[in-house]
Amino acid sequence: MSSQTVQSNPYVPFPSRVLEVVRHTKKEYTFRMAFSGDVRPGQFFEVSVPKFGEAPISVSGIVPGESVDLTIRRVGRVTNEMFDTYAGQTLLLRGPYGNGFDVSRYVDGECVVVAGGTGVSPVRGVIEALAQSATPADKHVIVGFRSPDDMLFRKDLERWDKALDLTLTVDGAPEGYAGNVGLVTKYIPDLPLRDPSTAQAVVVGPPPMMHFTVLGLLSRGFAEKNIWVSQERKMCCGLGKCGHCRIGEKYVCLDGPVFNYTESKDMLD
Amino acid sequence: MIQDVNVKALKKNAFRQSKVRGETASRVRVPGGLVSAKSMARIVEIAEEFGNGEIFLTNRQGVEIPGIRLEDVPKVNALLQQIIEDTQINQEDTAHGYLASGTRNVVACPGKRLCPFGCYDTTAFAQRMDHEIFPNNRHVKVAFTGCSNDCAHVALNDFGIIGMTEPQYDPTRCIGCGQCVNWCQRRSVSALRLVNDKVVRDEDRCIGCGVCVVYCPTRAWTRSPEHYFRLKIMGRTGKQNPRLAEDWLRWVDEDSIVKIVKNTYAFIEEYINPDAPEGKEHIGYIVDRVGFDEFCKWVLKDVELPEKCERATRVYWGGKRYDRENDLR
Amino acid sequence: MGYVLDKEGLNRTLDALSEDFLLYAPVRKVGEGRFTDVDVVRYDFVRSVDDIELDAKSDYSFKEILTPLSQTLFYFTEDEVHEAGGLGAPGSPAGTADDRPVIVFLRACDLHAVRRLDQMYLGNGPTDTFYARIRDRVRFALLGCDHAFASCFCLDMGTNVAPEGWLFSLDRAGEGFACSVADDALAPAFAANAQGEKDVTPAHVTENEVHVRVPSKVPNSIYKDPLWDEYDSRCIECGRCCIVCPTCTCFTMQDVFYTDNGRVGERRRVQASCMIDGYTDVAGGASYRKKAGERMRFKVLHKVWDFRQRFGYDMCVGCGRCDDVCPEYISFAAIVNKLTDACECEEAKDE
Repeated sequence: MSSQTVQSNPYVPFPSRVLEVVRHTKKEYTFRMAFSGDVRPGQFFEVSVPKFGEAPISVSGIVPGESVDLTIRRVGRVTNEMFDTYAGQTLLLRGPYGNGFDVSRYVDGECVVVAGGTGVSPVRGVIEALAQSATPADKHVIVGFRSPDDMLFRKDLERWDKALDLTLTVDGAPEGYAGNVGLVTKYIPDLPLRDPSTAQAVVVGPPPMMHFTVLGLLSRGFAEKNIWVSQERKMCCGLGKCGHCRIGEKYVCLDGPVFNYTESKDMLD
Repeated sequence: MIQDVNVKALKKNAFRQSKVRGETASRVRVPGGLVSAKSMARIVEIAEEFGNGEIFLTNRQGVEIPGIRLEDVPKVNALLQQIIEDTQINQEDTAHGYLASGTRNVVACPGKRLCPFGCYDTTAFAQRMDHEIFPNNRHVKVAFTGCSNDCAHVALNDFGIIGMTEPQYDPTRCIGCGQCVNWCQRRSVSALRLVNDKVVRDEDRCIGCGVCVVYCPTRAWTRSPEHYFRLKIMGRTGKQNPRLAEDWLRWVDEDSIVKIVKNTYAFIEEYINPDAPEGKEHIGYIVDRVGFDEFCKWVLKDVELPEKCERATRVYWGGKRYDRENDLR
Repeated sequence: MGYVLDKEGLNRTLDALSEDFLLYAPVRKVGEGRFTDVDVVRYDFVRSVDDIELDAKSDYSFKEILTPLSQTLFYFTEDEVHEAGGLGAPGSPAGTADDRPVIVFLRACDLHAVRRLDQMYLGNGPTDTFYARIRDRVRFALLGCDHAFASCFCLDMGTNVAPEGWLFSLDRAGEGFACSVADDALAPAFAANAQGEKDVTPAHVTENEVHVRVPSKVPNSIYKDPLWDEYDSRCIECGRCCIVCPTCTCFTMQDVFYTDNGRVGERRRVQASCMIDGYTDVAGGASYRKKAGERMRFKVLHKVWDFRQRFGYDMCVGCGRCDDVCPEYISFAAIVNKLTDACECEEAKDE
């Protein structure tokens, strides 16, 4: 035990420069942070947000060796903070934590990504890889937001729409809205899949959305072992200590946040 | 049978004048409302042997045994003697039952002996107070309640004593769960708030009820070793100007309260209306007549209030003046 | 080696130990309980055996020294982060850099609990530096149990006999005390003040009034079992059960901002409870397990099932403090038995 103290302290955050701030909605911003280490989509950082405290934030974009994107929602005490002014300043980070997505699993064959709301952040890197894959026509992405005003990554969505089979939808919209309206689950039955039994699926979003999406995929003939979900939980440490993210015997921060459905179906809150 | 009874002496002897000719009711004094089962059994015996088999529980926690024949009063007094000794009521003469009835039974809620919110031993203080002021013919009502909930309705008494504790906060034991803040708001006066995840107490607003201590899961909140009191004065029911007692002293100590109540008797002797029926006048009316400052001068004689004690220099009572107007508009 | 000591001799021994160690033991805090003039027994630093409450179970456990209720981790400035110094132990005045090792006096069940704390903080992911720093300085002295307290169920949890790892033991023996000294380095301090040498075995509990059966298999259907429903209304979600538990380890981070821009301040962690509101709140506004019954299920299954699935042994050590502290008279022991009955009932259905 005596050797423990000489190890570096995993709670100590490091300062990282805010290279750029992109505003998506009234509440959501993406911070492009200087970071040169190894990181995968689906992993997360503990970010010290001034006036708010530490929060686990998924990596929503990666420029290897240069930067990571962190999409942050203004909540609570920071409601009136103008995040745009943060460019050029530093924020304190710890991480990356968690397993993240193994992107290589999805790029070869047929793959479906279903993402809802801020759930798009952790899969943005996955979708990007699918868009650049050799067989983009076999890649189907359904992205849902609460309303047109809640849309994130608009420019990416436009690009992805051209590169692969993208379905963009909103739960509800004002009259006259031209796009798709309806829950993401509505589009699962019509996905043009050759062989659902071998296709991979990635599902990220609010718990009820994930639940019904997985049911939809299973009824299309997806194998449980080919479905991957990412769980969002409160995390105060990212190190398997604070306990908040535990589900049964699993710690989302250590064992996840990405779980195979064969595991996650038995993870009951 | 000749029935020649000194009713005034009978009443002073703690027997009620009954509307039933030839009957009376024995008023058993129970300071703090706590009586041993043994004495209760003796009360039952008296009720069965000399009364009509019924027992009346009074508003002030005493016990009345109705249906006693006037000629049986000496025998009842003889049987009461064991109860009087058991309840430790002062008595210079052990042959004639209770020696006064003017100073009323001292009331107390169960207090800390039972109640989770009780801030002191109400029963013990009530018993001490009874020892200090009884027997006395002057009409004085004192009541004790464990916390600001005032379950004992002390605000209807000449002297109402409410328990207080000064919450002690140890921030190193506080996890910022906010339960004290929440319960202070829901059960008390919203004197607490969270600042930087620790609790700040508004000392002026805090009434020392101890709700924060009861609900704190970590012992970050504890009670002060000292027991403190709020003394409310001059509440009353009645026909002319019923009103609630008002706060006079906060964070006062037990000994000062005892002295103040004892001093009050001299004030009454000096200023009571000589025409008051049966020598009974609520003290509040005397205070109304001679002034609050004069009252303070008399009752604070030889009282050294502790430094922590807050004292209202002016006290204003409310209540309707039925002797001046009596309409509902 | 065992020693028999009278009170004066034991106090001289503790004085001698205090040269090199701080002593941390259960202490009766007069009038500091929930209710007026009710005591609480919780841990604090002591100097003599007169300060130690030997005859009652401590209401709060020793864990407060290893995982303080509130612990400052960092001070941060505009550009830098400084680790907070010191032991961070409760009761040690800030700024007194007393870095002596600490001898913690505890009972067998609590010494078993240390293994659970170590499991989480030293294992399960990277080592927790703040925990390890205190843990490195902590030693143990075993308080013998010559009888069980009313709510103890150590036998059924297998924690009635202390594991190894204590320096010496302390039992009452007649008017005096008996100590078994396992650490040779400490023997002289005892030998010099003892009335005599004697073989001493620390007392341990051999009988409990309370019996608990833990489940051997928990089917998923238990999550929706109606057995949890009564706690929706009975439990007030105060979290006392977790705070007093010697094996609960959860904490929450709190950031305090000294400046308007939120860039200068301190970070601390405080003990948390999965029973208390806010435990699962995520920034997006979602929260899990809103009902008290669901929280009860989460806690109870952790203690007698989930922890075992991950680490191979049960988390609960059967100290019974949660039963003692619950203001609503909810018995953890009773729930575990109900759970096990329900699990067996489900299993029987399947067969």
